[in-house]
Amino acid sequence: MIPVTATGEFLARLERSRCCAAIVSDEQLELALVSRTPIVFVLRGNGLALGPCIRRIHAAGKLVAVHLDLVDGVRADPRGVAWLARLGTDAIITSHGRLMPVIRREGVVAILRLLLSRRTHVDTSVTAVSRAGPDIIEVLPGVILPTLAALMPTFGVPLLAGGFIRTQADAEDVIAAGAVGITTSAPNLWGMYAS
Amino acid sequence: MPRVLIADDGGAPIRVPPMLRAGILLRDIDIAAVVRRAASDDAVIVIDLDSVRGMASDEAAADFVIDTLGVRIVMTRRAHVAAHVASRGGLGLLHALAFDSTGLMRALEGSAPGPGVGTVVSPGAVLPHMRPSELEELARPIVAYGLLTRPADALDCLELAECVVLRQDVADELAAIARDSTQPVRNLLTTVAAEE
Repeated sequence: MIPVTATGEFLARLERSRCCAAIVSDEQLELALVSRTPIVFVLRGNGLALGPCIRRIHAAGKLVAVHLDLVDGVRADPRGVAWLARLGTDAIITSHGRLMPVIRREGVVAILRLLLSRRTHVDTSVTAVSRAGPDIIEVLPGVILPTLAALMPTFGVPLLAGGFIRTQADAEDVIAAGAVGITTSAPNLWGMYAS
Repeated sequence: MPRVLIADDGGAPIRVPPMLRAGILLRDIDIAAVVRRAASDDAVIVIDLDSVRGMASDEAAADFVIDTLGVRIVMTRRAHVAAHVASRGGLGLLHALAFDSTGLMRALEGSAPGPGVGTVVSPGAVLPHMRPSELEELARPIVAYGLLTRPADALDCLELAECVVLRQDVADELAAIARDSTQPVRNLLTTVAAEE
């Protein structure tokens, strides 16, 4: 069982600042390190060589979430999870619900990425979430969360939103629609709502 | 290319509201049902090749759809299959999943825009949130597909795209709006059909 403090700490950071950096390049990493973002979501890179990157993010006083499905070199399976946990990541994101218990056993925050492209995905998402048992879910594309609010089920876990969120108005609408935080590659939003 | 496609996933028969002059998107059904539906409908038919149960997403399947079923518009996630459909005189729609901007660009990698190749953006509801520069990257015609849950969503997308895919209930609502609406809304729904 994951220590309560891991998810608790993650959510506490989010409460301090709702807008997190989603990075896909070294340039974005540099910007994220000096921003007020509380958490850096790493969506690209070589998963086998992320150690220095993770250490730099930690040294900047921030948490790290690594996307298991998108980084190169690491397979989305229990060994891949163990590898990223050993590198020191604080959270692992994946669309593979079966890996949620594995991630939690490693003492890492388990984030299930829900990719919604059709109404049927919305309708079946609650079953997928309850079966997987994540600590947090991330809904993509997050920018349409406000228009889907009436259709969205109650998941019972905190919800992040990411994808095409580029303006302050987008971020405000998404948070008003129920997201505890957003992930965005727009540096102007990183650290927004920082307390 | 119709302005509206109504999604047919094998349930109740599709009713095409005359006001929309809509086509039909066959998806999530098996080969036999595709053959049956394609033969029985007068409306323009589009096939989501990747979702047909029992059928591969390759050139052979595209040839079958074109030659045997007479369907000229094919949706696929494979750029080379979309190009193949175009080379056969059809319209190949490259299905790009657009959950975020990075994913969208990745989905478009390897595509070679040219005559006879268009783009399906899924979910279509993100289209109004895309930058003009991103829209310019997309081969036209553009089809907005997925999570257009209200007529207003469809009308927003029709300002940017040539076509939207709707469920039957949303298409019916949109037809009702068009029937009672001002000429600009009707124009939005029928422009392409009128040009054909």
